Amino acid sequence: MNKTNTENDAKVKLREMHCKFNPLSRCDGSVMYSQGATVVIAAVLGPIEVKTQNLSIEGSYLECNYRPKAGLPQVKERIREAAIRDVLELALLSEAYPRAKMSLQVQELEDRGSIDACALNAACLAMLIGGLPLKYSFAAVHCIINEKGDFILDPEESETQHQKASFTFAFDSVDGDLLLVQTKGAFKIAQFNDIECICRQASVEIFDFYRSNIAKYHSKSEDQPLATIESARSELPMET
Amino acid sequence: MFMNANLFEPGKSKSERSFIQSAVKQNTRFDGRKSNEFRDVKLTFGSDWGTVAVSMGDTKVLAQVSCDIGAPSSARANEGTLYLNVDIKGVAFLDEIQSTHDQRFLTLNSLLERTFRSSRCLDLESLCIAVEQHVWCVRVDINVLNHDGNLYDASTIAALAALMHFRRPEVSYAEEKIHTFSERERELMPLLFLHYPVSVTYCLYKSSSNPLVDPTLLEENAADSIIVLSFNSYQELCTLNAGGTAPTNVRTIMKCARSAANRSKALVQFIRKALELDAERRLQPNRVFGLADLLSDNAPLLSFKHLMAENVRQEVAQKKISDEPIPSTETVADEQLPADTKIEEAPMDETTWLSVEESTWIEQQMKNVQQSLAVSAQEAGKTSKSKPNRSKNKASKKPSIRNQDQSDSEEEVTQIL
Repeated sequence: MNKTNTENDAKVKLREMHCKFNPLSRCDGSVMYSQGATVVIAAVLGPIEVKTQNLSIEGSYLECNYRPKAGLPQVKERIREAAIRDVLELALLSEAYPRAKMSLQVQELEDRGSIDACALNAACLAMLIGGLPLKYSFAAVHCIINEKGDFILDPEESETQHQKASFTFAFDSVDGDLLLVQTKGAFKIAQFNDIECICRQASVEIFDFYRSNIAKYHSKSEDQPLATIESARSELPMET
Repeated sequence: MFMNANLFEPGKSKSERSFIQSAVKQNTRFDGRKSNEFRDVKLTFGSDWGTVAVSMGDTKVLAQVSCDIGAPSSARANEGTLYLNVDIKGVAFLDEIQSTHDQRFLTLNSLLERTFRSSRCLDLESLCIAVEQHVWCVRVDINVLNHDGNLYDASTIAALAALMHFRRPEVSYAEEKIHTFSERERELMPLLFLHYPVSVTYCLYKSSSNPLVDPTLLEENAADSIIVLSFNSYQELCTLNAGGTAPTNVRTIMKCARSAANRSKALVQFIRKALELDAERRLQPNRVFGLADLLSDNAPLLSFKHLMAENVRQEVAQKKISDEPIPSTETVADEQLPADTKIEEAPMDETTWLSVEESTWIEQQMKNVQQSLAVSAQEAGKTSKSKPNRSKNKASKKPSIRNQDQSDSEEEVTQIL
């Protein structure tokens, strides 16, 4: 999807995405997800026994941890963790398993730009593959305004050196609502709106990626999966 | 309600334990390996220096080396510091079982400390910038991604490979000021090593005298005792960790030690090769490399079996012979190597360790070996001097391999051979 923006020379293409399902053996669902050179691994476990201090009779307790590659989690990692938890708490259908715990762990493997968005996307894929109940899936997109005022979608680490502002949006798959907005730096409201549109369009690509990969994973043994994927795609609601 | 905490650890229940015990008795393993067979080791290097992902079967470990400038300890004012940190929480979900978690963490950490820090494998003095003021503090973070047994070996391999892969920036110190050169100004520097230790793990069971190497989680949990030996590439012992309840005799431990020494040497060779390939790859422009390789199908395979297949085929064949249960005498070939080193430099006097029959057996062997060496040397003397005794003695095929490994003691051995 190479669509040039009206005002700016914008790079509106996501880096290449790859994922591998269940690379780990000890959890209910895990995924290794990469966007360009940024790689994260996410694993879910649940529903499992919960400590009494966290027990809730209304819904399940969500535990969410993000681990950096080197050293102990610092403030930066805690913020990222909080963002993931916020989005997941919105998306998780926690009423399905009261008095239980859902645990999500995200491990950074390589950070080469837009790690926030990658971690969120990996979290969503892990929840889907682990079979935990979600109200909707979600996709996060990172975009920056560079020093020339251009928009760069899903930037490389090298491109973020002199950024003016950075944005991370997360959208849900059913209504296309905004689940998360993270901004940093100075920008105009018009720019914000433009970038939101760009990111929304890019999120469609991510949802397509989810759908085709999960379909591929589940239909490995079947003979003619392609037709079923195509028909499934047209039936599923997709309003973005 | 959800009592699944115990389901997590295979090998903890009584029936599983007895199953493994009887399997060991019949000399079979659950995954079809032989008792002396290792799982394949795969390395993936990250795009940053000092990032390595190691996988051995389903056991996966990520190691990351980082460094910064700090103050030295007052006891060793002219040395940098090495800090090792193991993290077994996270995606491995090992902290679900709190009782074993702490124990496991402690043993793993102490193994790494002893293997890398106490054995002084890094040249810490080279990390000093200004005595008593500024030194490099090297930190190794090991993240366990998945635990399927033998975390010990996986984490020592990961730590060693990451340390060998790591490059630090150069600094200058003048007028009380440190200037760190960027990568563009001056090339990054690798760490200096004194030796390269790796560990090898064995499991022992009451029902059998034959130890299992490279255990899976099921085998490890059901084991009566676990022996972890760290050897460096010069085949010197760095760490011995033996515990548990299975009665062990000296012979078993020595047998483990011998094959562990060979295995460690091969592993270090393998890591060196993998590093060379990675360095070649980095020279190619405009290539995406790094841990994204874990996801792509066409990334080069840096696995032990793959890399060591060509030039160590002979050695592997040899090892298989020597690792088979000890019923001695016909396995003369490989025993020669440890025995040899003892003739030359005698780093430890094996005879004092061993029971009487054992030591006489070794003496006998050494005689045999010397005789055969003499014979083959005579034969080979006529044909060529550079490749002596290639004829019958299996162990004498090794010189070609040894030359690659730049260890002094081994070169000595080849010269004398």
